[in-house]
Formats: sequence, structure tokens, C-alpha cells
Amino acid sequence: MASIEETPLLKVDSVDESAPATSMWADAWRTLRRNPLFIISGILIVFIVFVALFPGVFTRENPNYCTLENSLGAASSGHPFGFDLQGCDVYARVVYGTRTSLSVGILSTLIVVFFGSLVGAIAGFCGGWVDAVLSRIVDIFMAIPMLLGAIVVLQMFRTSESIWKVVLVLALFGWVSVARIARSAVLSTKNLEFNTASTALGSTPMRNLFRHIIPNSLAPIIVIATTSLGSYIVSEATLSFLGIGLPTTTVSWGGDISNAQSLLRTDPMVLFYPSVALAITVLAFIMMGDAVKDALDPKSRTA
Amino acid sequence: MGKYLLRRILQMIPVVLGTTLLVYALVFALPGDPVKAMFGDKPVNEAVAAQIRAEYNLDKPFIIQYLLFLKNALTLNFGETFSGQPVISEIARAFPVTIKLALMAFCFEAIFGVVFGAISGLKKGKWYDSVILIVSLLLISVPTFVTGFVGQYVLGVQLRIFPVTAGSNPGFFDLLMPAMVLGSVSMAYIIRLSRSEISTNIPQDYVRTARAKGMSNTSVTFRHILRNSMIPVVTYLGQDLGALMGGAMVTEQIFNIHGVGYLTYQSILKGEANMVVSIVTLLTLVFVVCNLVVDMLYAALDPRIRYA
Repeated sequence: MASIEETPLLKVDSVDESAPATSMWADAWRTLRRNPLFIISGILIVFIVFVALFPGVFTRENPNYCTLENSLGAASSGHPFGFDLQGCDVYARVVYGTRTSLSVGILSTLIVVFFGSLVGAIAGFCGGWVDAVLSRIVDIFMAIPMLLGAIVVLQMFRTSESIWKVVLVLALFGWVSVARIARSAVLSTKNLEFNTASTALGSTPMRNLFRHIIPNSLAPIIVIATTSLGSYIVSEATLSFLGIGLPTTTVSWGGDISNAQSLLRTDPMVLFYPSVALAITVLAFIMMGDAVKDALDPKSRTA
Repeated sequence: MGKYLLRRILQMIPVVLGTTLLVYALVFALPGDPVKAMFGDKPVNEAVAAQIRAEYNLDKPFIIQYLLFLKNALTLNFGETFSGQPVISEIARAFPVTIKLALMAFCFEAIFGVVFGAISGLKKGKWYDSVILIVSLLLISVPTFVTGFVGQYVLGVQLRIFPVTAGSNPGFFDLLMPAMVLGSVSMAYIIRLSRSEISTNIPQDYVRTARAKGMSNTSVTFRHILRNSMIPVVTYLGQDLGALMGGAMVTEQIFNIHGVGYLTYQSILKGEANMVVSIVTLLTLVFVVCNLVVDMLYAALDPRIRYA
């Protein structure tokens, strides 16, 4: 870093004023575009979303068509990953499982972000007793480890055939972390000058909240949403692995890993493929979260 | 400090009450009849069902049920399992195993997390920094049960270094691989956390001052940079100790360790709601107490917290 004496004033003032002003988002996008982490994870995520939307492009096999005569069959033409114990095509199940994992992750994240930021924004914006009550509720949910809480709730719905039970349970125990971050973001934005200016110009508190405070508090919420997506996918797989997550009729990586558990010593590859698919998906979202964090939080930018 | 401690303990009371109420409500008041669930696929015998309802106070209003549960819980009386064993003695048998496993995982993640994080943060940009970063990113993305299987397959089945499963009365060596698996994700988070803390502390003014007054490099690193970087790491570690006990469920399932997680899982399979609610309540208490200890440590390490 150069000392003050070495830097002429002219140079300090020589900001190019003719250049168009860049917003925080444009600035973040420029940082993102140059980040190799973002490019790699972006390509992976686009690919994963494509597989989830059009599984038929990648395999013609039906993941639920299993014949026992194929049980533990080796890889062959048209069945690159071989067959599992029930004689199902492992490759087809990995391809179709993408949709399940991704839907659960995205739906949970959307609900969590919506409710978490709503509650957090209300708590931060209203302050006083509203904040006190909401913050205590957040503390209570925070004290329950997510996996345990999810298990307690899910054991009540073991007969349900819907993926929504897992989505809602993840959301039920996940919204608090977003609420905390949204609250502190709103608190720090609330007293900034542009809000005072907006109030002086006659806007109502509600207009202030939706037009100024929420848009300016979005960055930390987006960061936690991206990182959480990966962790919800892991949680879903863990719950399905424990046998209380998704119904067994749904093709899911967690369920397949759980079923292949007993094959560890004899046919580890049946266990291997869905695990790798799961790990790559989660890795993609975690890398994306890191990249987004670097772009939106200038303080954490690595030199 | 005393005043701060008192305030934090008083703040803990509503959280503990609220959390136990929430867990209790989730288990006993949600749609789905726990008594019916006990019968499984068999037809429900109304007389037996009524008897069970009376035994668990399920015929009383919800809030009375909860208060009775709380009163019994204070004296560690959690009722009996279906086979007539007192719940607390089952828990007392399983808890030491899980505590042992969680403490081993804790030591593993604390030591290796901080050491690798410090190496990586102090030598940013070196090749081993990149290796450490990539490995930690991989450990975070791979779910615990996959890490567990890989460990079991490579270290247990192929190389035969560690026992593949631990069994009912595991010793230190039996628990070594499960503890590493359990602690691996948190270790990766600690590496990342210490690395980023250290790299934000290195360019700080106080570090420059310390160097300017002639302190040796080792002194500056250990007494200033590392010490200040450890504050958030300690917070993370403390919160994680509670989470490890709850997270042990998957690890215990894979390695067949008869701890609290295993017990919870078996109780869920058998539909023993009473056992589940007791364990979750106890684990939540452990979690809350751990957080309190962390806050105390935090206040001791950073005087600014005490006066806030």
C-alpha cells in the first residue's frame, strides 16, 4: 500500500466521471464473471438442471422397471452403471434421481427464503416487543438440531407419499437461519440516510420497507440461500438414507444409497454412482455459494 | 462477568421451555395418532389404546400433558418403553458411548481443523494451501454417510486398518474411524473459517504495530494473529459439540454403534414416541448448555461482548 504522500491528489480525484455509474449488482456480476469457481459451478448447475428437466434425453430406461433376473448385473451396452439388487438400471435411477434432489433443494430454499426474510424483516423493521417475541421464537427453533427435529416430525408422516413432507420439514427448521440474517441486514439498513430522505419526501413506512430496505438487504439473503440449497439436498439425502425421508416409490439418491448399503462388501459400485452424483451436485451449489459470497460481500473478497 | 452469566442463564429459561414445548407438541399433537402408530399394521384394540392414553396422560388437555411431562422430566422420570424398561436407564446406557464418540470427533476436528486452517491461512497461495482448500470443499460436499461408506470400504474392507463396525461396547480404537467420519465435515468448516479469519487479521493495524515494535515473527503469529483468529473458531466448535451429539445418528447407524443416535433410530422404527421425545429433549438441553458455555468463553476471549 502506498503512503499518502506518494499518491498525488490528482490521482485520487481522477475517477472517470464520464463512465456510466455501476450499481452494486452490476459490480457483483462483473466480479462473478471473472471467478473460475463461478464458471465451473455455473456450468455444472446448468447441466444438473438440464438433467433434472429432461431426464429422457440421457436415458431411455425406466428407473422403476426392474427385473430380478438382472439383479446385480454388470455394466453392459445401454446400461453403463450396471444393475442394483432389485435389477433396476443404476444409470437410469441416477439420472431420474436428479429431479428429486433438485426439486427438494429448490422448493425448500424458496420457502425458507420467503418466510425467513419476511419474519426477519418484520422483526428488524418493527423493533420493540415484536422483535423481542420473534427473536425468542427464532432462538427456540435454533436450539433444535435440524436432523433431530426433522426426524421427530417425519416419523409422524411415514405413510405420506408426497415429497412435500420433506420440503416442509426442511423449511420448518431452516427458516430461522435466514430470519436471523435478514433481521440483522434490515437493522443495519434501516437507519441509513436514504431512508430518512425517503421519509422526508413523504413515503410511508411500508413503502420504505418494500422499496428501499428489502432491496438493500437482499445480498446477505441471496448468499445464505445459495449455500443452503446444497445443504438441503444433503439433508434430504440423509433423511431418505435413514428411511424416513422420501417415500420408497420416489427415485432418490439418498434412498438408493440406503438400499445399496448392504452391498458395500460385494458390489460397492452400486453404492458409488448415486453417491458421486449427490456429491457433485452439492459441490456445485457450495462452490456457487462461495462465488456469490465473494461477489456480493466485498469484505470477504480474496485478494 | 457474573452479571453477564446471570443474564444469559435467565435468557436460557424461556428458550428451554419453548424448545421442550415445541418438541413435545411436534411429537404428541401433530396429526397422526402416536397410540395408533404403536399398533403398527395390526388392528387397534380400543381398550388397550385407552389404557395407553391414560398412562401417557394423552386423555388430558395438551398443556396439562406438557406440564406433567416437564414435571417428570425434572426428576429424570421419562416413563417406560413398550418392553417395560425405564426410558432413562436405556438412555443412560447409550449416552456414554455417544459422548465418547462426540468428544473424539470434537478433538479430531479441533486439532486438525485449526492446524490445517492455520497452515493454509498463513501460507496463502502456496500449493498446499490449494490442496487443503480443495480437500475441505470436497469434505463439505460429500454427505457424512458417503464419507462413512468410503472409510468403511477403503480403510475397513480393503486395507483392514480399522474395524468395519464398532458393536455394542466399543473401545477407543473401534471408535477412531467413526469419530473421524463424524468430525470430517465440521473439520472442513473449521479449516475454512480459520483460514479466512487469519487472512483478514494479517493486514490489520495491530499486527503491523506488533511487528513495528520489534516482536519476532513467531510471537506475532501466535500471540496476535492466531489468538484473535480463534474467537469465531471457538464459537463454532462449542456450537458444534452439541450438534455432533445429534448428528451422530447417521454415523452410529453406519458403524453399528449402540449410542444415542442408534437408540433414537431404533425407537423411531418401533414407534416409541416417548423415548424419542425424551432423547430429543435431553439433546436439546445439551445443545443449549453448550451454547451457554460458548457465550461465556466468547465473553472471556473478547471483552467487548461483556459490555454490549
